[in-house]
Amino acid sequence: MSLFTRTTKELTVRFDEFFDTVEIGILIFKEGVKAYVSGDREAFQNHLSRIDDLESKADALQRSIENDMIMHSILPQQRTEIVKLLWQLDEIVDTAKGSLNEFYIEMPHIPGSLVHDFISLAEVSGNAAEELMPAARAFFREPHLVREKLIKVYFFEKETDKAAFQLRKKVFHEMNDLSLAEKAHIRYISHHIENISDTAQDAADLLASMAIRLML
Amino acid sequence: MIFLFLISGLFLGWTLGANDASNVFGSAVGSRMLSFTRAAVIASFFVIIGAVAQGTGASETLGRLGSVNAIGGAFTVALGAGLAVFLMTRAALPVSTTQAIVGAIIGWNFFTGNAIDTRSLTQILATWVSGPILGAAFAFALYHFVKGIRKKIKIHLIRYESYLRTGLIIVGAFGAYSLGANNIANVMGVFVPSVPLGTTNFGLFSLTGAQQLFFLGGIAIAAGILTYSKRVMMTIGNNLLELSPEAALVVVLVQALVLFIFSSSALSSFVARIGLPPIPLVPVSSTQVVVGAVLGIGLYKGVRNINLKLVGSIASGWITTPVTAGLITFFLLFFVKNLFGVEIGHATNPVKNTGTGMDFSVIIKYIIIGMLIVTSVYLVYLLRAEKKKTDRLNSKYY
Repeated sequence: MSLFTRTTKELTVRFDEFFDTVEIGILIFKEGVKAYVSGDREAFQNHLSRIDDLESKADALQRSIENDMIMHSILPQQRTEIVKLLWQLDEIVDTAKGSLNEFYIEMPHIPGSLVHDFISLAEVSGNAAEELMPAARAFFREPHLVREKLIKVYFFEKETDKAAFQLRKKVFHEMNDLSLAEKAHIRYISHHIENISDTAQDAADLLASMAIRLML
Repeated sequence: MIFLFLISGLFLGWTLGANDASNVFGSAVGSRMLSFTRAAVIASFFVIIGAVAQGTGASETLGRLGSVNAIGGAFTVALGAGLAVFLMTRAALPVSTTQAIVGAIIGWNFFTGNAIDTRSLTQILATWVSGPILGAAFAFALYHFVKGIRKKIKIHLIRYESYLRTGLIIVGAFGAYSLGANNIANVMGVFVPSVPLGTTNFGLFSLTGAQQLFFLGGIAIAAGILTYSKRVMMTIGNNLLELSPEAALVVVLVQALVLFIFSSSALSSFVARIGLPPIPLVPVSSTQVVVGAVLGIGLYKGVRNINLKLVGSIASGWITTPVTAGLITFFLLFFVKNLFGVEIGHATNPVKNTGTGMDFSVIIKYIIIGMLIVTSVYLVYLLRAEKKKTDRLNSKYY
């Protein structure tokens, strides 16, 4: 029994650690985008290496939680969905890391007039993912609060769509000085930033149904 | 020789252990929250303790219904009940050992011309009805309570589940204890008047003759749990898996409580002391209490469509099982007495014909004969319907 209690304690700690890692990853992503578009390469490099570490840590935590849940037959009824949720949360950090890597490898040219738009887009997209974390934490402690916490995720996801739409419209309709290749590149990068909120929305849908089932 | 006659009772005990242990640990083992070995060892131990420590009350009620005073009769009654359970299980009809043994004793009463103790019969019938209803009411209240606590304490789901897991072991042990205490009467109750065992002193404690029989019956139940209940737990238990762990905990607790209430002499005397009518000590079907508890949780969740088929199967079991067991026992007694010349007992309270009209036991007799006819027709109808269904399926697929 003592072994079991220890496993339970360790597992709850690892869950919290995983959520912390994802949350910090999202903050680093927002800061990374801000640093790149503002031209602060040193800060950008720092954020890039930090998100790389965080992504590895989230992967390791996700795998160890999954293994322990199977080995000790913990939450057998919810296990499949919890594992899927962890996978989707990890996907958020993966996408964030992927986006920063694209900035690093492809070095897109962001015109000065788009700096604010990019920062806003990264901010709202990151916010959608950030607001998901209190809901994910609530699922384990206060499942009846999950739905109300998810409202902000859906709100920021819509805001991200709007911001991405405005940015692309501005690029293709107003910025005639940019070549088509540059426009396409900006569209591509913005699409990747937008992906973070889309992944957050998928995780929110899963979380909402999990919470309802748990409360039945 | 005595052990030879006890075989039918021990077999009944084995089937009870094999089938009813799933009501106690089925959901925990089926969901792999608890290993089968651990569950079986806990259940076996507590079933024996419950049978020896608290089995007397329910057994005495069965004894009042019909005191089978020859071991040949007791053997036949247990065999009749066992056969009824076996045949009805084969025919996929709802069946309960508890109701089978009562039917078998009534069959013995009819055969020997013993008057039926209507007070005991009324108590038993009332308990059969009130068992599942009480189960539903307890489950409703307890589930409400557990859900309320879950909402108030901000405990991590994993920690909460670990408490539920520990709870399932404790409540399961209590359930096994109650199962032994309440259902041992089905297994060994009929042998108590006819097996003359004296009190044996073991130094630290002593066991009466009835308790020694209950110990044997408890071992038979434990053997059923250890050897055959795994299969039942993995199939029937998996159906219970659809319940959440907290619902499973409530169901097992309710089953334990209801069976405990109907087998505790101390509780019954306490209730009588405070001026309330004493609780009848009667064997209750654990499966029917479990079904009642599941329905109670369904009601709490606001399920609009109660499974009427399930309710109907419980109600039909109250009639079909005792009538089938009574009928089989009646014929078995005829063969055992006339073909093998075995003493099957005699009436200690013969039916009196006062000539001033029918007394209550005669009315019951006619009611039972009527029920017997209705049940026979119903059984034939069910078997025909089942056969038709099988034929239709066969013609569809082959």
